Amino acid sequence: MTNQISMDGRAMAASFTSDAANVPGGLHRRDVLRGAALLALVLGAPGTALAEGSLRATPQQWALVRRVCDLVIPATDTPGAADTGVAEFVVLALDHGLEADGRSDHLAWLESALAGDARTLPDRLAALDQAAFPPGPPPAVPSPWRRLKALILTGYYTSEAGASRELQYELVPGRFDPDLPLHAGDRAWSSDWTAVDFG
Amino acid sequence: MAHEFDAIVVGSGITGGWAAKELTEAGLKVLMIERGRDIQHGDYPRETRAPWELPFRGEGDQAAYARDHAVQRLNRHFTEFTEDHFVNDRENPYATGDDTRFTWFRSYQLGGRSLTWGRQCYRWSDYDFGANARDGHGTDWPIRYADLAPWYDKVERFIGVSGAHEGLAQLPDGQFQPPMALNVVEAAMRERIRAKWPERVITIGRTANLTEAKPDEGRAPCQNRSICARGCSFGAYFSTQSSTLPAATKTGRLTVLTDKVVEALDYDPATRRVTGVRFVDTKSKARGSATARLVFLNAGAFNSVQVLLNSASTAMPQGLANSSGVLGTHIMDHANTLSGLAEVPGFEGHTTFGNRPTGIIIPRFRNMERLDGRGHTRGFSFQGGALQSGWTRGKRQAGIGADFKRELRGVGAWRMVLVTFVECVPRASNRLSLDRSRTDANGLPLLKIDFAFGAEEHAALREAHETAKEMLEAAGGRFLFGSTEPGAGGTAIHEMGGARMGHDPATSVLNKWSQAHDIANLFVTDGAQMASSACQNPSLTYMALTARAAHAAVGMLRDGVI
Repeated sequence: MTNQISMDGRAMAASFTSDAANVPGGLHRRDVLRGAALLALVLGAPGTALAEGSLRATPQQWALVRRVCDLVIPATDTPGAADTGVAEFVVLALDHGLEADGRSDHLAWLESALAGDARTLPDRLAALDQAAFPPGPPPAVPSPWRRLKALILTGYYTSEAGASRELQYELVPGRFDPDLPLHAGDRAWSSDWTAVDFG
Repeated sequence: MAHEFDAIVVGSGITGGWAAKELTEAGLKVLMIERGRDIQHGDYPRETRAPWELPFRGEGDQAAYARDHAVQRLNRHFTEFTEDHFVNDRENPYATGDDTRFTWFRSYQLGGRSLTWGRQCYRWSDYDFGANARDGHGTDWPIRYADLAPWYDKVERFIGVSGAHEGLAQLPDGQFQPPMALNVVEAAMRERIRAKWPERVITIGRTANLTEAKPDEGRAPCQNRSICARGCSFGAYFSTQSSTLPAATKTGRLTVLTDKVVEALDYDPATRRVTGVRFVDTKSKARGSATARLVFLNAGAFNSVQVLLNSASTAMPQGLANSSGVLGTHIMDHANTLSGLAEVPGFEGHTTFGNRPTGIIIPRFRNMERLDGRGHTRGFSFQGGALQSGWTRGKRQAGIGADFKRELRGVGAWRMVLVTFVECVPRASNRLSLDRSRTDANGLPLLKIDFAFGAEEHAALREAHETAKEMLEAAGGRFLFGSTEPGAGGTAIHEMGGARMGHDPATSVLNKWSQAHDIANLFVTDGAQMASSACQNPSLTYMALTARAAHAAVGMLRDGVI
């Protein structure tokens, strides 16, 4: 039996009675490739191409989701949800079961729930939203709108503009200040992960 | 016979790293075997990613998680940033009894769960080591706090634990780096609660995150990012990679093998010694073996038991080191739930900056000098903290449009969270066994978990809820929610026991040196050795027991006892 002593902590080629080759980092490379492919899918392709591709939404649904994103988080002094790829995130996330158990058809539900004259869509959405959040504990059977709204908020506040312009983002705070004055208009930290987790 | 190594350490997590460090520094030639892949310190590809740089913004591909990470996804630290630091559940199945709910959170990789752990470091006291003798559950620990105190000192100094000295008998002080700070609300709650109940103390979490650099070891102080489970290239929290592995490697006496799962230990009935390990390459499925003068099992509590059960032979048909028949029994995990959540008014003009990587702890205050728990004889403690909510509160609120966006721009109300950890009584019915009817991809029989909380834990959960509510309200909070229902077994990620330490070879697996009663050159120094569970995090105690056992083993080798 021969073996090489590992001086740097890395598992080096060792031949015991096993003849297997160690392949450090193999998992990692695969994962990066998978991630890159998905990233290109989300960011690199226009909505119409996505609609006809692997993301399942009709052109009418794409248009509706974009409009609804814009109504929930409009552009103000910072970009709104429609300008920051949130519709694409919502459709991707629905396709992959985020905020939902399996892929119940939230988009078809939304079309049906908001059907009517385009000019009065904002009023119907506001009414739908109010009804989905009654006072008191969450309803036993929540409105599908709660999930769609949650995805719109996630998509927006984790976008670069939402996280770092509408809110503030600091990956490396470098210190902890336990008590600072809070002023009206101060923007929250999107990088406060505990607050994100426990809302 | 001629051995290839002086010692084999099975596993590279929190205790495996410590065993490797202590044994190599004592002059032994050591082989450390890890079932998972290699991860080099600093090779944490998603450490610095922003949410918008990930396909699912940090939330992950839920369809893929449902398929591949059905259990691991339930871990709060499991995210799209950290998913590579947890096992694939489909490839790593386990069995449970019909009535068992058990979420087994695992990290099969170099460094194990030291990369993903919660980093909370608490000494156990004689309330803990004396618990079994006091109320008769389980079997008495063969050690007391005084046996372990110097080893706690050694471990704390090396790994770096920040914390505040409080002089509490139930949570002994240690060799602390300067504490992280309580935030403004926690500091006020501490004073208000202590004014009413002097024995209930809010103190900052004692955490293995450095507040002072350890330049000789290349470790920088914590940057207050609180994204530890992604891996920390600053080396600011203790992991095998940041701390024990470099120390062991520096000796020149360490060999590391990754992607090799140990299936069994070899045992020589003539000498009554283990002679080494047999392993399977997880990629090629080729089998291999290695020999050594002694073996340290540090595979993680349940996996170490699995190796022993799977090492049954003609000489030891019930499993290795199992002449008592108790191997696999008396497993424990803290009963864990959100006992209280309250909104705390009066601090609207205050906020914080930075992400402190620890919360607070309220050490146990029941069943100390007298047995005053209602329906239970052990302890419960709280961890948690005060925080201001962020944008995710919008998911629970009505509102759309510019006003809604403006409202979510600022921080939300202050809230205080108290999560309880309830001591789990050791019971014979909570146990591990092998399901030989099913095997995993490496041909090993599945580990089967039978586990349920009992009347003691449920009584303590009720009392934890009541006391959380009364403390939060007395301190000015508006109580919102609290539960008395524990999460599934495994939720606390403090699964332990199965090869308990004890005085009597007829009722325990290990002696006071973490050494098998039956086999003098076999040591089990991970969570499997625990005879009771206390109500605070166990990893620091595992490390201290490992360092102590390594010292004892080296002495026995030199004295020719082994």
